[in-house]
Amino acid sequence: MLIAAFTPRNLAKYVGLIGALATLLAVVLRVMSFNAAEVVSIFDPELTTSLKMTFKMGYDGMGLLMVLLTAFITPIILLSNLNKKESNDRGFNAMVLLMEFGLIGVFTALDGLMFYVFWELTLIPIFLIALWYGSEGKRPVLIKFFIYTFVGSLAMLLSLIALGSVAKDFAYENLIAVELTAKVAYWVMGGFFLAFAIKIPLFPFHTWQPSTYTVSPTPGTMLLSALMLKMALYGMIRWMIPLAPEALPDYKPIIIILGLIGIVYAAIIAIQQQDIKKIIAFSSISHVGLIAAGIVLFDQQSLSAAYVQMVNHSLVAVGLFLAAGILENRMKTRELNQMGGVAVLAPKFGFWFAVICFASVSVPFTSGFIGEFLLLKGLFTEHWLIGLIAGTTLVFGAVYTLRAYQLSMFGAPKIERFHDLEWNEVLVFVLLTFAIVFIGLYPQIITDFVKPSLDRLPFAIQALPSQSA
Amino acid sequence: MDALVLVFVSGLVAMFIAMLKKPVLVLTAAGIGLTGSILLLYRQLMGHESLLKWSYEGLNFDQPAILFSILVLIFGLLVVIGGYQHFSRETEHTGEYISLLLFSMVGAMCMLSFTDLFMFFIGLEILSIPIYVMVGTNKNDIKSTEASIKYFFTGAFATGILLFGIALLFGATGTFKLDIMHDAIVRGAAQGPLLHVGILFVLASFLFKIGGAPFHFWGPDVYAGSPNIVTGFMATVVKTAGLFAFFKMFAFVFHGAYQFWSDILFAVIILTMLVGNLSALNQIKFKRLLAYSSIANAGYALLVLLTASPSSLDNLWIYLAGYGLAVIALITVSVILNDEEDNISSFKGIGRKNPWIGFALVIGLLSLAGVPPLFGFFGKYVVFFSAFQLYPILVIIAVINSGIGIYYYLKLLMLAMSEGDENSDIPTLKPTNLQILSLAICTIGLLTGGLIQLIP
Repeated sequence: MLIAAFTPRNLAKYVGLIGALATLLAVVLRVMSFNAAEVVSIFDPELTTSLKMTFKMGYDGMGLLMVLLTAFITPIILLSNLNKKESNDRGFNAMVLLMEFGLIGVFTALDGLMFYVFWELTLIPIFLIALWYGSEGKRPVLIKFFIYTFVGSLAMLLSLIALGSVAKDFAYENLIAVELTAKVAYWVMGGFFLAFAIKIPLFPFHTWQPSTYTVSPTPGTMLLSALMLKMALYGMIRWMIPLAPEALPDYKPIIIILGLIGIVYAAIIAIQQQDIKKIIAFSSISHVGLIAAGIVLFDQQSLSAAYVQMVNHSLVAVGLFLAAGILENRMKTRELNQMGGVAVLAPKFGFWFAVICFASVSVPFTSGFIGEFLLLKGLFTEHWLIGLIAGTTLVFGAVYTLRAYQLSMFGAPKIERFHDLEWNEVLVFVLLTFAIVFIGLYPQIITDFVKPSLDRLPFAIQALPSQSA
Repeated sequence: MDALVLVFVSGLVAMFIAMLKKPVLVLTAAGIGLTGSILLLYRQLMGHESLLKWSYEGLNFDQPAILFSILVLIFGLLVVIGGYQHFSRETEHTGEYISLLLFSMVGAMCMLSFTDLFMFFIGLEILSIPIYVMVGTNKNDIKSTEASIKYFFTGAFATGILLFGIALLFGATGTFKLDIMHDAIVRGAAQGPLLHVGILFVLASFLFKIGGAPFHFWGPDVYAGSPNIVTGFMATVVKTAGLFAFFKMFAFVFHGAYQFWSDILFAVIILTMLVGNLSALNQIKFKRLLAYSSIANAGYALLVLLTASPSSLDNLWIYLAGYGLAVIALITVSVILNDEEDNISSFKGIGRKNPWIGFALVIGLLSLAGVPPLFGFFGKYVVFFSAFQLYPILVIIAVINSGIGIYYYLKLLMLAMSEGDENSDIPTLKPTNLQILSLAICTIGLLTGGLIQLIP
């Protein structure tokens, strides 16, 4: 059973790691036996309760890819934090695994209520991780984070209730089958949109994000940016648009414009920032703005590009936050103007950080290049102006990433000693780099994986007169 | 019927055993009585006949009454177990306290099974009078005395209004019997100012009992003044009985006059939710916070009344079960902490000092906040879901309110999980302590409740 492997019952850091690796193994086995064209049901008790909940779970290519990503990233997160103090804590490992459990649940839920339950379940461990191990001033920030995301989720719950009160039960195919009038669809999608836009986060719902990223401990930030955010993007593809396709023409311009504002606005802020974690946080807003804009185009090519880019963003985000965490940990500061000269003191770190930075600015042969290129192509086809504005992400991205790299790594050393990378950190960087370059060279592995399931999405909506933005 | 008698008898036994000044015996008597009643009711639910053949026409234990009686008895049992330490502090009074609780539960069961207004009134009084006493049992605490007197006077006032309302209803329909009254109202023979004023009076006294706005003012003072465990009793048993009777009267008896009272209730619900949640935001006293939260929760539960359908009673049951277990878990934790000042800051660091208490507390709070997959979420969900078709606006307001509610539950949760002061002494629990049992039952109930189909 896929789920049973994720129960948190570990005692120390190695048990946590082993648990996560076992999960990865289980998922890899699933992937091996997976035929991209099918929908695999892992749990279907054939029972409809009085709550109209069916407990259905299963996956297709889209879901399994995300499950694989989760299962790959989680041990990496644990591995990269192996020599921090929190990794010896039972609570920490339990929470990370609970998080993984919730995430996999989100990606395999085929029932609206199950999706909601798992969706909320992920909030608790990340909240506790940040609360227990976060830095100064975390309280107000975390309350803001929790309330923000919870209110968004409640809006999604309303939408689900609205759909469910019409449908036979909450099973995915029955929810899809519901025909909505334009007005209802508008509100239903609005509810989903609010939940996802807060989690992604799209401008102007992003205000919780930089501060939460900053106060969270490094593994918490990694979980947030690499995985939790993907839940929302996945949710858009799997739930929001198929459930209320009638409202897509209304929302498409809104989301694209918000995405574009996010790309430019967050990038400009990132260029000004001094705090290295904030730079990455804003760059994250900038990148996901592009993905969100690409998703609402809702055609085969943009969606598979969005997938490539989602995977890429996870890998890069983990790498960048690991680097930021290392800097913060060893220099006791996050301010760029107090750093410098690290590359001389720690050549290994300098090299690997550079590799991740290049992946982040989408140098060819890294996974970011393919994803961004295809997304931009889609946006150009939609309207040249959109493509142009979105294209600035490449320029801005290069500016803020390389600026952060330059200020932190080069220049006159501000400190005498900088402890170079531990073996586990090197291993993480190597694994990430391998994945990034592999996908960069051979992106079809992802696109082929998700193509059959994307084909099943209701593309019929494109027959509707499309409103140009 | 047999269960009702058993509870009463065990109450009597508990009272007389108390002369031996052995609190353990009292607890045993009460425990056997309550568990036995639960089992008897369960047996009846499975289709067996009641052991006692004689019956009284004023009381009818039909299926909803049995289900809710079981709920009330479980709450009562948890309160007795969780509060045993508190009750047994003064050995000479243990029997009185516990038997008062049992008698109050007898009243609650009458309120769940009444078939005429006469019996309902008697049930309400049997329920209330022991509580007036219980509220004042911290005799050295001036707040407790104040709470007792305040509750007694306002309660007596509400009872008077209720009697007045019943009299008017009798005048309008010429009967005390619920089903005859129902028919009279449906036929339209009774419609008129007499009936409407009667309904208004009954509505007001009900809102008073369950702490609905604008009759909620006694709530925070009385909750804050009474001993913690009595607060827990009021917030669970009294509220459950009150809401069920409320449902029976309005969704069934007065259904013919739905047009008349639905708008009023609509406004009351919005007001109750907002008053409860907004007032709770800045509370620094735990029991006051709980009082406002319970006002808000009464608002959510009232949604069920407004949208009566065949499944409504099940929904109400699920909702109240989730709510009650969470409240008892919180109250038990506060009994363990035993902070005289009752500041929420006394919760600080408890999750670190004692992870198990912390765990129960977190589960309780998250369940109250409505975070899935806990019981409280499913309660809220079924209520909202069934209300959505008729009153989408109201559900949207309710959802916004749960969003507001998150803040104060989270505040408490943050306190509990943060680093405590080193010198603060959080009592450690001995494994023999009965509060553990109460906490464990609540926690397990909250964790699994939503996923198990409890209602056959």
